[in-house]
Amino acid sequence: MPERMNRRLNATPIAATIILIAPVMIYYATFILYPIGATIVNSFYRMTPRAGQIIREFVGFQNFRALFSDKIFGIAVRNTLIWAVVGTSVEMVTALALAFIVFFKVPFHRFYRIAWFTPILITGVIVGVVFRWIFNYDWGLVNAFLRLIGLERLAVNWLGRPDLALGVVIFVHFWNTFGYSFILLLAGLSSVGQELIESAEIDGANRLQISRAILAPMLLPVTVTTMILAFMGKMRAFHVVWVLTNGGPMNQTETVATYVQKRAFNWSSLDLGYPSAIAVFWFVLVILGVTAINRWLQSRTENL
Amino acid sequence: MMTKRILTGLFMALVIAALLPAGGQQEADAAEEGPVTITWWSHWANEPSKRVVIEQIKDEYMAANPDVVIDLVWWDKEPLQQAWRTAMTAGEGAPDIVTDPAGDTMVQLEAGWFLPLGDDFPWDNYKPGAQDNAQYSGFDGYYKYNIGQSINMIFYNKEIFDEIGVDVPDDYTFTQDEWVDIIRRANAAGYAGSALAIGNRPYPALFPIWFSFFSLVGADEFYDYINGLQSWDTPEARQVLDWIAEMGDAGMWPNTFSTMTIDDFHVYWHTQRQAATLWIPSWYTGRAFKPESEGGQDPDWQFGMLRYPRMDGGVAEDRVIGGFESGYMISSATEHPEIARDILAFAAQPRYGALWEVATDIPSAIRYESSDVPADAPESPWGWYHDEINRVYGPLAMDVVELLAPPERSGDFTNATTSVLNEGLPLGLIDVDEAIERMNAAR
Repeated sequence: MPERMNRRLNATPIAATIILIAPVMIYYATFILYPIGATIVNSFYRMTPRAGQIIREFVGFQNFRALFSDKIFGIAVRNTLIWAVVGTSVEMVTALALAFIVFFKVPFHRFYRIAWFTPILITGVIVGVVFRWIFNYDWGLVNAFLRLIGLERLAVNWLGRPDLALGVVIFVHFWNTFGYSFILLLAGLSSVGQELIESAEIDGANRLQISRAILAPMLLPVTVTTMILAFMGKMRAFHVVWVLTNGGPMNQTETVATYVQKRAFNWSSLDLGYPSAIAVFWFVLVILGVTAINRWLQSRTENL
Repeated sequence: MMTKRILTGLFMALVIAALLPAGGQQEADAAEEGPVTITWWSHWANEPSKRVVIEQIKDEYMAANPDVVIDLVWWDKEPLQQAWRTAMTAGEGAPDIVTDPAGDTMVQLEAGWFLPLGDDFPWDNYKPGAQDNAQYSGFDGYYKYNIGQSINMIFYNKEIFDEIGVDVPDDYTFTQDEWVDIIRRANAAGYAGSALAIGNRPYPALFPIWFSFFSLVGADEFYDYINGLQSWDTPEARQVLDWIAEMGDAGMWPNTFSTMTIDDFHVYWHTQRQAATLWIPSWYTGRAFKPESEGGQDPDWQFGMLRYPRMDGGVAEDRVIGGFESGYMISSATEHPEIARDILAFAAQPRYGALWEVATDIPSAIRYESSDVPADAPESPWGWYHDEINRVYGPLAMDVVELLAPPERSGDFTNATTSVLNEGLPLGLIDVDEAIERMNAAR
């Protein structure tokens, strides 16, 4: 084959590549990169609407310094970190246990697979509305059941008690999202070679031993990814808490995401610079957190 | 060659895409030659009696001005305020006329979001105080169209009072200690002291605080306190907040205090009847005086009214706080300011004041004659309600004090008022010392 024709056949189709990825890149640049960049820039300004314009005043790191004296921000950070740690831990343990149950094909395992995955299909807003009814003090399902079985003293205002509300919100969010971790872990288990399991069974290993000695180590990379995804989801939790409690009572269920929303659109101040600083600060914190978790878990994976 | 064709095609596609908005713009230009559309965003979506009045204003204005089309959009209060802020911040999609933003009015006026009502607005049609209420400190002109007045009242459930053995004195007034006793007795009988709840409003728990504060110090000092012009580290402020804390401990707030919405707590009061009292302005009727099937109360269920608590050392127990309902303001984003002004001036006619009172059972801010009352107005089942107002509050002098949107209150003080007095103190999350400290820090 002539060399020139050979070069043409082997050349990278640059133009076609550009045309094919252009729509996605334009979308990504417009709706992802530009807002992120604008938010980062805005975080160094005080932005005040005046007479139909936005007056921008450069304030340097003043917005970031103000974060450390903002009590509500401190509460939001505390709540979000509690949520991220507790929620992720509970979700991973539960999802892993359920994935093993389905993997070992217990009776009705097909039903369990569907039932445990279904909640993730419901949007957070709908879940929030429904659980708001379920936890209603006067006529909600939970309190109605407690009263029915004679445990009226346990029928409390679940979403209105400052000491209980955060736990309830974390539970509702867990119910909505654990199916995603479950299905990822189940897929990971399904990719483990059957011959390894059969060999272990021939050697007399029971299911618990197989799970601990073979499946769990093989599943570690998927577990790492799933844990990171779960952690990131908790760090930016918004829809469920916004609908259930709106961050109340008195900020006791406030998360960083809900606080940004409030500072930007509900606060008596119209400044957009400070909420931008909150968003940027949290973005950096999440990146650092995810990187740290990833490195720690990866090091454990490499030692296998 | 192939690359050149592909790039040429891409370039042509971009050119066509750039031309498309120009075609759209031509259509928009053509549309502007037709009727002018005025967008009017109003809350009161869930208050049919008020909607009737505003809808009639809209219809009659359009009938009188065929070249104007009014697009009236009904909202609940919080979504409206969020949409309004978003639209004005983005510089796009804002209405021409909008419900006033209450506690955020000063901040938004500073941002230049509103236009004055203009020199031709018929203030002579209004009762005293309405024009002052439309003005804001530091801004020339008058900005807020008012249609409803308000009286701030205390309702009590007669059956519950009988059950717990409380007799209402001839002057309808209880002392601080008597109030605590009433709340304690109601709670012991299984009722909440009040039906107030803060699920979706930043102010209901403020009403007992404000009424008692006003009763203690009088209108002028009270104004300074709620506007953050006066330190809260005073014996008077401490007396009020200590008393509120004591009332809370006695069972003032319902179990669902932090989750019941404003619509919920109306039903909790008049249909579930689980509370001894309700502290509320006269806009109560907008949600309550409608068919029971729509969440209204039974017209035959007659509650009583009380005057403000007799505070120890108080100076104003023989007075009542008056004010004005939510109103409307003209957006600075409007492209038709003169038409917007004309609409609100049209809405200030006496017949609409009469219609407002007949339809809503709320006092009108607009003066009217008996001849302005609609001839086909149905007989009202709420005569007992007006009789009770006249009996209990009629003899009292009224001071107009803006409670929900104090005109000189800063944004930080607004936030503190909500979090400290509406949430923290009633929920027992902070004590009185911390409440005073936070209120002062926000001044």
